[in-house]
Amino acid sequence: MTDPHLPPPLSPDAPLVRLECQWCKSMNEPGALACRTCGAPLDVKDMVSDSGWREAPRIRDMTEIQFGASTCQVEGEIVPVAEINLGAADSVFFEHHVLLWKDDTTRMSVLPLTGGVKRALAGMPFVISVAHGPGRVAFSRDATGELVVLPLHPGQELDVREHAFLLSSHTIDYTFIRIKGLRNILFGGNGMFMDRFITTSAPGLLVLHGYGNVFERTLKPGESLQVEPGAFLYKDASVTMDVEPVKLTSGFFGGTSMNLARMTGPGRVGIQSMYVHHTTD
Amino acid sequence: MSQELPSSSPVASAAGTPRTYTCSWCGLTSGGADLSCPACGAAVDVRSVVSKSGWTALPGRRDMAKLQFGSSYCQIEGTYVPVADMNLAAGDSVYFTHHVLLWKDPQVAVTSMGLKGAWKRMLAGMPLIMTQAAGPGHIAFSRDFPGELISLPLQPGQTVDVREHLFMVATSAVTYDWFQSNIWFTTKSGDETETHYPLGMYLDRFVAPAAPGLLLLHAGGNVFVRRLEPGQTILVKPTAFLFKDTTVSMRLHIERPAGTWRSWRSWGDRYFWLRLHGPGRVAVQSAFEPFEDNGRDISSHSGATQRQW
Repeated sequence: MTDPHLPPPLSPDAPLVRLECQWCKSMNEPGALACRTCGAPLDVKDMVSDSGWREAPRIRDMTEIQFGASTCQVEGEIVPVAEINLGAADSVFFEHHVLLWKDDTTRMSVLPLTGGVKRALAGMPFVISVAHGPGRVAFSRDATGELVVLPLHPGQELDVREHAFLLSSHTIDYTFIRIKGLRNILFGGNGMFMDRFITTSAPGLLVLHGYGNVFERTLKPGESLQVEPGAFLYKDASVTMDVEPVKLTSGFFGGTSMNLARMTGPGRVGIQSMYVHHTTD
Repeated sequence: MSQELPSSSPVASAAGTPRTYTCSWCGLTSGGADLSCPACGAAVDVRSVVSKSGWTALPGRRDMAKLQFGSSYCQIEGTYVPVADMNLAAGDSVYFTHHVLLWKDPQVAVTSMGLKGAWKRMLAGMPLIMTQAAGPGHIAFSRDFPGELISLPLQPGQTVDVREHLFMVATSAVTYDWFQSNIWFTTKSGDETETHYPLGMYLDRFVAPAAPGLLLLHAGGNVFVRRLEPGQTILVKPTAFLFKDTTVSMRLHIERPAGTWRSWRSWGDRYFWLRLHGPGRVAVQSAFEPFEDNGRDISSHSGATQRQW
């Protein structure tokens, strides 16, 4: 913690700001500047809008995050890089297109997936690669945005927009689910699949990349919200997503409608502020 | 004796001295008790950043800055691709182009606005639909490009001309119209004539006729503004142009660098500029689309000035 970019530590007589990370709810020792589990700065004000959206924490350049016997260092701010130093028994999995660089000696393999042949990414077969420790490997995606670090506690289930995940630790089970309903597939703007990440007994680290800025909101049971489908980034498996048409009534152009995804709680919903626009029908 | 603080310093109000604060961006005079200007969201305690050539950077804005309009308010969230999160009071409404909608409360009704001649205007092959949302409830907007959110509070009678497709959302007190940009040239290849619009075919015009209104634009990259004196001119890249006061006139200018000649038909033998003629405010964005020039001979143009170096 001798990084010159970091602000000086709090003075001893200053009131203790918080021990609990407001983003991932992990506990940190007093005086810590960044959460050791998710990298969120602990000494800045929590950014929550009046409408209840929490901004994904702006991770300070070069912040280090612990997971298992490995570390992840977040570098850069406009298109951030997640640089992983894998412990000997640890591994991470990812989609091949986010790989930035790796050590010569970092061993690679492919995650066996059932039904993976049905999925294709830009014409290429969909392959989940695995990097095994010890060694370093780094990831980034192709646009301005934020890294969303989501430490998963045991027994969690999270659904993620396809191709939005950057990396996941090996303690997390990965599967993908077919999005149900023709309207969801055709007008949902999320493709046909959603990635699903499940933890059973061990915690795990999941890192996503969202385009633009990322916001999260927790919906109460039965509370719902309409989101532009292209803005959807992730949700707890308990949140349901239904794409529904919103008719724009007009004297001249009756019949024009747009599609919005209705998210219904309970659970967390994550959105990105920059998205690919999908045409109206 | 204590040091005297400038009246515009927010610290002065903390000391209890009665004072007012005039926003350097929108000119609104407020109590200055807030950290950001209530009309445009610009941070109150930042110095204007002016380049030596006279361009002023868009003033800094605190994340989550709030601005008020009517009995509603708007919170601006995020920094790379900012979101305008509106909390509409009952009776207040805003309109927007439908593709900027990010999320909304289910009870906020959206309806399309009937626009005269709107079928003429297309956005990326889609008809441009103006959509209206009425309070009470939350609705939020963002665009699909990293950049800055520009808030332009319009005083009664104030008018601003904006490059097309930059518009994000405006309050119902602002009226919307468009006009031909009249910046064009044609190129010929055999019998085929092609018309080019470096600035786009139309410009949007926003007016607050009676009551004050709020206009939000989204620009690519960073935004810079300057005020041209009467008769002062500047050449800007047509695709970088953002907005101007109606008092500023525009003209196409074609420049040919030395060492090239008209028969040299390749890209790079000429530059297209937009000449802006004061008095008034003009603004540019730093990230802009490239303008495709086919390099063919120009057969006619909208009264462009030309220069061969």
